[in-house]
Amino acid sequence: MTETISSFLTADHRACDEEFAQMENEVAENNWENAQKKFDQFNSDLEHHFNMEEKIMFPAFENRTGMVGGPTAMMRMEHEQMRSVVGQMQGDLVSKNKDHFFGLSESLMMLMQQHNMKEEQMLYAMADSHLAEDSSLVVTQMQGLEKV
Amino acid sequence: MFNQGLSLDQAPPASLPFRFFLTAPLFGILLGLVFFFFPLDSIIDQYSPIAVASVHLFTLGMLSMIIFGAMQQMMPVLAGAVIKKPMLFGSIVHASLTLGTLLFSASFLYNNQIFLIAGSSLLALAFFLFFATAVYLLFKVKFLTSTVSAMRLFSLCGVITALLGVYLSGTYIIGEVSSAHFNFVNTHAAFGLFGFAVILVMGVAFQIIPMFYVALDFPKYIQNKIPTVVLILIIAIGLSLFLGIEIYALKLLLAFMFILFSAYGLNSLNNRRRPVFDVTLWFWKLSLVMFIVSMLNWLFVPQDNMFTLAVMFGFGFLYSLLQGMMYKIIPFLSWFHLSSSGHMLIPTMREMINEDLIKIQFFIFVSSLFFFILAGFLSNIFLYVGALLFIVANILLIVNCSMAVLKYNKIAKTDPLDAFKNK
Repeated sequence: MTETISSFLTADHRACDEEFAQMENEVAENNWENAQKKFDQFNSDLEHHFNMEEKIMFPAFENRTGMVGGPTAMMRMEHEQMRSVVGQMQGDLVSKNKDHFFGLSESLMMLMQQHNMKEEQMLYAMADSHLAEDSSLVVTQMQGLEKV
Repeated sequence: MFNQGLSLDQAPPASLPFRFFLTAPLFGILLGLVFFFFPLDSIIDQYSPIAVASVHLFTLGMLSMIIFGAMQQMMPVLAGAVIKKPMLFGSIVHASLTLGTLLFSASFLYNNQIFLIAGSSLLALAFFLFFATAVYLLFKVKFLTSTVSAMRLFSLCGVITALLGVYLSGTYIIGEVSSAHFNFVNTHAAFGLFGFAVILVMGVAFQIIPMFYVALDFPKYIQNKIPTVVLILIIAIGLSLFLGIEIYALKLLLAFMFILFSAYGLNSLNNRRRPVFDVTLWFWKLSLVMFIVSMLNWLFVPQDNMFTLAVMFGFGFLYSLLQGMMYKIIPFLSWFHLSSSGHMLIPTMREMINEDLIKIQFFIFVSSLFFFILAGFLSNIFLYVGALLFIVANILLIVNCSMAVLKYNKIAKTDPLDAFKNK
């Protein structure tokens, strides 16, 4: 079966969730050095995921549907909100402030999950149906996007 | 209009769900007070007017109140179903549900016809307005998911429950109680508790357990099949009651579905990926365990009255779960709305409510369950202890939730960096 936008990006969400959980585990056990490594890994993969959407999938969707100020604009805003929380978490890692870190990580997790749900249940399905036969091309382009 | 659901800022302002959430424990306090002002024997006799009043203080004032508040928040986010004029809609539903429940219950406590007519009318307004809107929006949703399907079934059950409720009220108002009265009552209860309440809880649990706790998804066959099977079983139970067919086999199947659901839920929570201690897990686990226990009790323990079962199912299963949800949703919404409107210095979710106070509230709540259940084995005197603890638990629930709401209000009023606001 060929990969759809929906199956490909959904799997990437799960991979980010897994890295998120690993990062939390390290912080929970006060392994601050490892926590920083896991955080960097998570941050880079999350950023990569955002970029695949913002640079490839969203523009393809917007071109096809003409919906520029719609769902993709909202998703971009939510990406920004998540980037801001991730930035604050970096501060807590440096100051080793565990309680504050978990307060933020919990908020981030809920933001991510709500966001994922909206994408997985609506936007990706919309994208696959609008882009139809072109959706596998979009997936290939996303797979080719280098990590920063 | 195609994309309407994708924006969280079309969800209602935080104050709206908060209003519903904070009203529910007030009804909990009223329910606790009933034990001190009315004869205990009549409260535990399921068909007495006092029991009817008590049950509805719970099912309408607490259960429906929290569910309606949460649904208005969740429908736009989880299902893309946006309510136009959310404040007006929410205010009408909240006011008519609150006043309707008070009048309806008072009519049974004080045997007052006028209260019954007024209360039933207001409740009909609240339910039909809510469900007409929910059904309209949910059946318009383009991309179907297991949560949307469960929400649709839940809405259908809500409509049937409300129709049967209106019919029953009507028979009381005109004073013509038919020979099939108890069949109507039991069918009303089956749709209300198993359909309206349990199907919604399932639909929400499918999303929330993996989402809040980074835990395993429920298996697909559970997500896709169980809510529908449950609905079919409830319909079969209703029909069997009217046709005079023995329902034990249906009960067995229904209880099996519920136990299966709870077992998967507990397994998922116990194997969650998030390492962080989270007090709301206590509420979820208690809830699912009590769900299993109540089903076993329902199947295998001969019932003198339904009181113990009602406590296990209503307070133990449903109310525990709803409290656990409120302790998550209120801090999140507080944080989220502040963060989205550009406030920089805000407490994290964990700083919104003092965790120790939540633990204390949990223990008081569990103690109240313990004494309510103990009363069934020993003496009704323990109902007073249970009721007193129940009142205290609800007061503390209000205090705890208000803590987050007050922090939210305080910060929301201060320099909001207006330029950043997304409205």
